[in-house]
Amino acid sequence: MSERILAVNTPLIVVALLVCLPAAAQDRTASKAAAPSAVKASAAKKWLTPWGDPDLQGSWSNTAWTPLERPAKYKGRELMTPQERAEEEKRRVQQERVAFYDPSWSDGRTSLIYDPPDGLKPPLTPEAQRRQIGWNESLRSEPPGPINGPEDLNLRTRCIIRDPLPRIPANYVNNYEIVQGPGFVSIFQESTHETRVIPLDGRPHLDPRVRQWFGDSRGHWEGDTLVVDVTNFNNRTRFEGSTENMHLVERWKRVADDRIDYRFTVSDPATWTKPWSAAIAWNKSGPVYEYACHEDNIDMYAILSVARAADRKAGEAAKKSK
Amino acid sequence: MDHMGKPLKILNGAIAVAATMAFSSLLTDPGLAQTLSSAYKAPRLPGTANPNLNGLWEAVNEANWDIQVHGAQAGPPQFGALLAQPPGPGIVEGNEIPYQPWALAKKKENFENRLVRVKYDELRLLPLDPEAKCYLPGIPRATYMPLPFQITQGNKKIIIAYEFANASRIVPLEKVGPAPVDSYMGWSEGHWEGDTLVIDVTGFNDKTWFDRAGNFHSDALHVVERYTPTSPGVLRYEATIEDSKVFTRPWKMSFPLYRRLDKDAQFMEFNCVPFSEELIYGHLRKTTSK
Amino acid sequence: MVTKLGVIFLNISLLLSVMPAWAHHSFAAEFDVNKVLKLRGTVTKMDWVNPHVWVHLDVKNADGSVVGWMIECGSPNALLRRGFNKSSLPVGTELFIEAFQAKDGTNLGNAQNVTLADGKKIFLGSSDDGAAPSPGK
Repeated sequence: MSERILAVNTPLIVVALLVCLPAAAQDRTASKAAAPSAVKASAAKKWLTPWGDPDLQGSWSNTAWTPLERPAKYKGRELMTPQERAEEEKRRVQQERVAFYDPSWSDGRTSLIYDPPDGLKPPLTPEAQRRQIGWNESLRSEPPGPINGPEDLNLRTRCIIRDPLPRIPANYVNNYEIVQGPGFVSIFQESTHETRVIPLDGRPHLDPRVRQWFGDSRGHWEGDTLVVDVTNFNNRTRFEGSTENMHLVERWKRVADDRIDYRFTVSDPATWTKPWSAAIAWNKSGPVYEYACHEDNIDMYAILSVARAADRKAGEAAKKSK
Repeated sequence: MDHMGKPLKILNGAIAVAATMAFSSLLTDPGLAQTLSSAYKAPRLPGTANPNLNGLWEAVNEANWDIQVHGAQAGPPQFGALLAQPPGPGIVEGNEIPYQPWALAKKKENFENRLVRVKYDELRLLPLDPEAKCYLPGIPRATYMPLPFQITQGNKKIIIAYEFANASRIVPLEKVGPAPVDSYMGWSEGHWEGDTLVIDVTGFNDKTWFDRAGNFHSDALHVVERYTPTSPGVLRYEATIEDSKVFTRPWKMSFPLYRRLDKDAQFMEFNCVPFSEELIYGHLRKTTSK
Repeated sequence: MVTKLGVIFLNISLLLSVMPAWAHHSFAAEFDVNKVLKLRGTVTKMDWVNPHVWVHLDVKNADGSVVGWMIECGSPNALLRRGFNKSSLPVGTELFIEAFQAKDGTNLGNAQNVTLADGKKIFLGSSDDGAAPSPGK
């Protein structure tokens, strides 16, 4: 089966094919409804590497339009009705100005979070509530004050880290390559060219004095499931407002030729009153490409240049008014 | 010999054992073994016919400073001996890089200006040295940077993850067709020739250097790498470099790669992007007015 | 290559009336949504780079002088997966572009609408840097 991209000389023009979305989507997407408890691997089929480990290898994408938390209008419901689903897809396609849509991106669930069962993150601890003040550089937010230097911009804009763990899918570039060797699983994350090298030999975590942008991963097999324990985060990535002591446990299990059931549990007693969990399907995808971000990050120069031009203008105005 | 008594029998026995052991160790001496029989046969990747290259590897040489033989040289004076260039025997076979005349001049210019900020366009004033800017180092340079890299070898693909800037590349062990786009780390296609992993790399952009000395290439660069296990813990690495826009003929580099055997050795993060920001954005920083 | 047949959708852009999901990556620190450029020019170069593709245009002014512009588009990794690549807009292609201009008045713009000479709209990716999608209310 080819995982290659389309031939280079595809037509320039994107042709508008307006397919009646709800009907087509229903059949396809009903089978993809990924209520986390419901997906069962075929009992007979096993995916194994030549050395006998479960085989998760391949090119995958976890694009999903399901939001992390359940919107209020779906309160109490894990799944959308087909009608709601079609409307949601239509809204999203328009809003996100997407020129290409794949039905696997929308699995009919109302939230990625399945625990707590209300689909919402647990309440923040009092300490966390006090802490959530001020600008968080790990988010895609506009800088709050003057831009005097690169440190005044967020981590994404600076191409320092764009998608920390656990990775909630973005609009695009949600691609991964998993390659395994005896004793290791490596996951190449396209955004932005990070490889997680995950030892399976039970060695202890890195010394707590070492903090990393992607934390420190340790894996082991539980039956057919890869379980990865991640600690040693730094205090910059602040996933959903948490601290460097966030503890992440991830699970990957292959359930079909073209699908992995992925779920994670995060806990941070300094942030949430209890752990919470989410599930996101990883679907077979085309090849993974290089994402060199920092190298040609023209926006950084432009943003700083704009800020300096504004300074010069303000300076001139101040002089004139003297 | 019976009349010599027990102690001598024990001594004879001990000598016999020692002699056997000495003879066995002669047979496992790599040099002799190569002479006597076929080359070293590494353990296989289980379930395959190929050697198992999984693990953490690193080059031990000074090629990242200058891939050709070179002597010691002063660095920026404010850093004393820290950034002074150490001497090295080089990794280029024949020690000559066959530049076209224009390219040799450009290489010299690169070297003179490697840390001087040069105006790229209206917005960018940057030093030339891509390593200083924490840019993806390209191939083959990533192989001989003074940092380890992890080879994760599967049965269908290999990922090589380099600690510097977490540069990574995927090497499918099958035909992949032409590169869809130019990249820093190139577009790799791997296959086995006996126990040698051969990686054919194309699709490079022209933005990387071979070393800190300004040795460079164009987007016509084509690299063929060979990784061969030669003894436990050692790979022989060879790379043939071809670039019709820059060189007059192909040329080759080679050096050993060593397995990291430290007890706690593991792949760690070296995200140097934040460390490079002052160097590349410093000219756009707000200066306090008088 | 794609195992599921996607719906290919031309965006008949309602953009300027939609609160942009793309208004991020410190967009407001770089571009001015009140300065809408309408440029007609020919492609001189494509910087096929992340995080954004930049199309270089030569724009002819009324007086005949030619000015170079750099227009920001989406991520090449997303475009590659839709069948576009660096050669999709060859040098010399005539384009009509609506873009928001850089705040410091330089010849930099953020593409909102890109149309070919024959009027067909093409989608070169939004300047949304691709972070997490926004949920409906």
